Amino acid sequence: MINTKMTYRILGLLLLLETAMLLCCGCISCIYQENDLHSFLISSLITLIVGFLLLIFSKGAEKQLSRRDGYVIVSFAWIAFSVFGALPYYISRYIPTYTDAFFETMSGFTSTGASILDNIESMPHGILFWRAMTQWIGGLGIVFFTIAVLPIFGMNGIRMFAAEASGIPQEKIHPRIGVTAKWIWSIYIGLTGLLVLLLRFGGMNLFDSICHAFATTSTGGFSTKQMSIAYYHSPYIEYVISIFMFISGINFTLLLRVITGRFNKFSHDSELKWYFLSVSFFTLLIAIVLYQTTTMGIEESFRKSLFQVVSLHTSTGFGSADYMLWVPLTWSCLTIAMIIGACAGSTSGGIKCIRLVILSKITKNEFKHILHPNAVLPVRVNNQVIVPSIRFTVLAFAFIYGIIVIVSSLIMMGFGVNYLEAVGTVISSIGNVGPGLGLYGPAHSWSTLPIAAKWFLSFLMLLGRLELFTVLLLFSRNFWKKS
Amino acid sequence: MKIIIAGAGNVGTHLAKLLSNEKQDIILIDDDEEKLSTLSENFDLLTVPISPTSIIGLKDVGIKEADLFIAVTPDESRNITACILANNLGAKKTVARIDNFEYLLPKNKEFFQKLGVNSLIYPEMLAAKEIVDSLHISWVHQWWEFCNGELILIGVKILDSAEILNIPLHQLGGQDTPYRIVAIKRKDETIIPWGDDSVQLKDIVYFTTTRKYIQYIRKITGNEDYADVRNVMIMGGSRIAIRTSQNVPDYMQVKIIESNTNRCNHLTEVLNDKNLIINGDGRDMELLMQEGLKNTEAFVALTGNSETNILSCLAAKQMGVNKVIAEVENIDYIHMAESLEIDTVINKKMIAASHIYQMMLDVDISNVKSLTFANAEVAEFIVKEETKVTKHKIKDLGLPKGANIGGMVRNGKGILVTGDTQIQANDHVIVFCLDMMIKKIEKFFS
Repeated sequence: MINTKMTYRILGLLLLLETAMLLCCGCISCIYQENDLHSFLISSLITLIVGFLLLIFSKGAEKQLSRRDGYVIVSFAWIAFSVFGALPYYISRYIPTYTDAFFETMSGFTSTGASILDNIESMPHGILFWRAMTQWIGGLGIVFFTIAVLPIFGMNGIRMFAAEASGIPQEKIHPRIGVTAKWIWSIYIGLTGLLVLLLRFGGMNLFDSICHAFATTSTGGFSTKQMSIAYYHSPYIEYVISIFMFISGINFTLLLRVITGRFNKFSHDSELKWYFLSVSFFTLLIAIVLYQTTTMGIEESFRKSLFQVVSLHTSTGFGSADYMLWVPLTWSCLTIAMIIGACAGSTSGGIKCIRLVILSKITKNEFKHILHPNAVLPVRVNNQVIVPSIRFTVLAFAFIYGIIVIVSSLIMMGFGVNYLEAVGTVISSIGNVGPGLGLYGPAHSWSTLPIAAKWFLSFLMLLGRLELFTVLLLFSRNFWKKS
Repeated sequence: MKIIIAGAGNVGTHLAKLLSNEKQDIILIDDDEEKLSTLSENFDLLTVPISPTSIIGLKDVGIKEADLFIAVTPDESRNITACILANNLGAKKTVARIDNFEYLLPKNKEFFQKLGVNSLIYPEMLAAKEIVDSLHISWVHQWWEFCNGELILIGVKILDSAEILNIPLHQLGGQDTPYRIVAIKRKDETIIPWGDDSVQLKDIVYFTTTRKYIQYIRKITGNEDYADVRNVMIMGGSRIAIRTSQNVPDYMQVKIIESNTNRCNHLTEVLNDKNLIINGDGRDMELLMQEGLKNTEAFVALTGNSETNILSCLAAKQMGVNKVIAEVENIDYIHMAESLEIDTVINKKMIAASHIYQMMLDVDISNVKSLTFANAEVAEFIVKEETKVTKHKIKDLGLPKGANIGGMVRNGKGILVTGDTQIQANDHVIVFCLDMMIKKIEKFFS
């Protein structure tokens, strides 16, 4: 069955890693001399102790992990990170209830960006930095981060990676997963660094540029301002962040190909083409609608439309305007963008374009099939035939996604949330986007949600981040059977 | 080191797994995507569904930077073509698996070099050699040679007339013993022995020694009375059987039992009159007795079915055959077969894999190669300047328990080590250790 001792061991090691991250933020509060230092010290102490206890319990662990163990460890790793990551908020009393603290942390690690904070500017820098950092680490994945920095998984790394990135099989760029992870992380760090420079250039202070860069490249969406990007009233910043959100929504393997000079694969990638077309379509549509229905000029309507479409399409969730004040057509389009999401292998959430590419081709084939019953119809993406097993996985994914959205909306309404808000928060959480609809739109925080709803939405965020199957598998009866 | 393996068959996948566990960069290619699908999810390697003979495909996987290209598809001409392409596209060294004895002849070596095929492996031939070796020195269970036979590692079973029985190792003599006991296999357990351990009856003991002292070890382990093999019975007329019959020393008589009549006819064509070919089912004990199983010293089971091979070897052992050898292609069964008193287990994949390991040693001398056997590993290290291992005498090194230095080759000469030996740079050191210890050992050499 489950290799419990090894599970403890890996979770223990991961918690030690989190301790180090917490201490990093402690340094920030040291620099700014604010009253949140003690909360980081206490939290890291608690995390350290639990980490060590887990390591002690893991004495004599058998090193080999099965596939099953991989799924258990990855799911629990994300939960454990959030449980302990919530401590600084709670201990510093800046978020008085543990529910809210946990929600905020889960929203951070899953790079969702939904916040329960009503007055972000009053937070000390250490806490704000921790918020941004959770997103940055969670953006590419906790396990993937660990593979890149520490070789603690050894041979089991590949299994754990498979469990964390359970979606469409990715093209590997190097035989060894550790090296692949390092390359992808270098791009990620490079993008973030570049964005920090550009934001500094646009007049943002260093701390805010770093936090915003973290939240942009991870497509997270935590801002250090209550009004999000709208606070800056700067077209430059809006354009820069739009571009970087768009780039972060592209498959990182493809980005690496561009850097290594292989444009061919990049320009012929069908997923990227879809992503680009979808973003362009929604941007133009909403820009025209805005130009017609509001007092905005051509440039401004284009800019606001571009920013919102990219922000929600890539599941970032920054706001440069409150789209709930626009006509319903616009935010309905934005909701569709939220559901679609960006490319697989990026930091974004949602269903992802590649699945839609495959789904649309399957649908097209079905029509052909009716006319030519004996035709053999392959599903081709990037000139490669998609094997039937992946086709079925994609179909199952789309089905489960739909079911979860419907059932969860019902559950949310059961908690007493209104129809529009229930659907909005559910789609936003499972797609790791951030802002919802109606009262939980971009201009408002989610603090007024019932406690049960917050826990439920945290669960949905994790579900969406790990691409449904990894977490759902733990609820399947077969998983726990001795077989 | 970047290694490209073409062909995800038995040998290819086995090699890929082994090498990937050793932190090499492995790219496994095959046209059949299905064969590759489960591998890349479970092992740290890259699988690419391309044909091994596609030029675009090979360029795509970066053949230019490849240190080693191994072609192990089932088709020999394809392997050779793939190697020629790979070599000309930039692979540093190429290895092709072949099925034709002719190609192995020394006079053709240069010809293949010119074509771009640096080495050839013929797993059936290697297996046959191993069988002949173990028939020739029938009292030895396992036999490995290091550095062209300068140092030899043998596994020998301890019989009741052994001189070293039940004596703690530290009393067995100090500096001058011409052997070193590096591991003891007792039932399912592998022990890396220390001074206080002693050898017990029916243990399989692994000695490192040099060629001169092989007979001495035979004496002290009580194997002197072990009958030499004169009559061999082979069950199953496979290619290994043919190669074995062709390579046994002249004084040995070989009978091959094969159930397929056509195959029997083929065997008579390729083998000479010295070998007797019998058409019948090797599982039929009556037939075997008729054909003189009682007077046979060795029984070799080489059918395509591992289970049949194991069971018929056990049956032969009960009938009083001294030495039984079984071909077991199912790797998971090897351990079990060894514990069932089958003297030698032959596995084509493992033989081919360890042979390729040896080749890698020539390409990349700074690295560690290890062979997995029982629950332990044998690693050959080439000592670099200024490493930890050169700083102290062996007994002061503080090697972890469960690891043991078996011997070394200095300037091309095999030397056995004692606690007082000082290791120098450029020595080849053979280290024995239990599973999972290899990482700790590596620290001493880097």
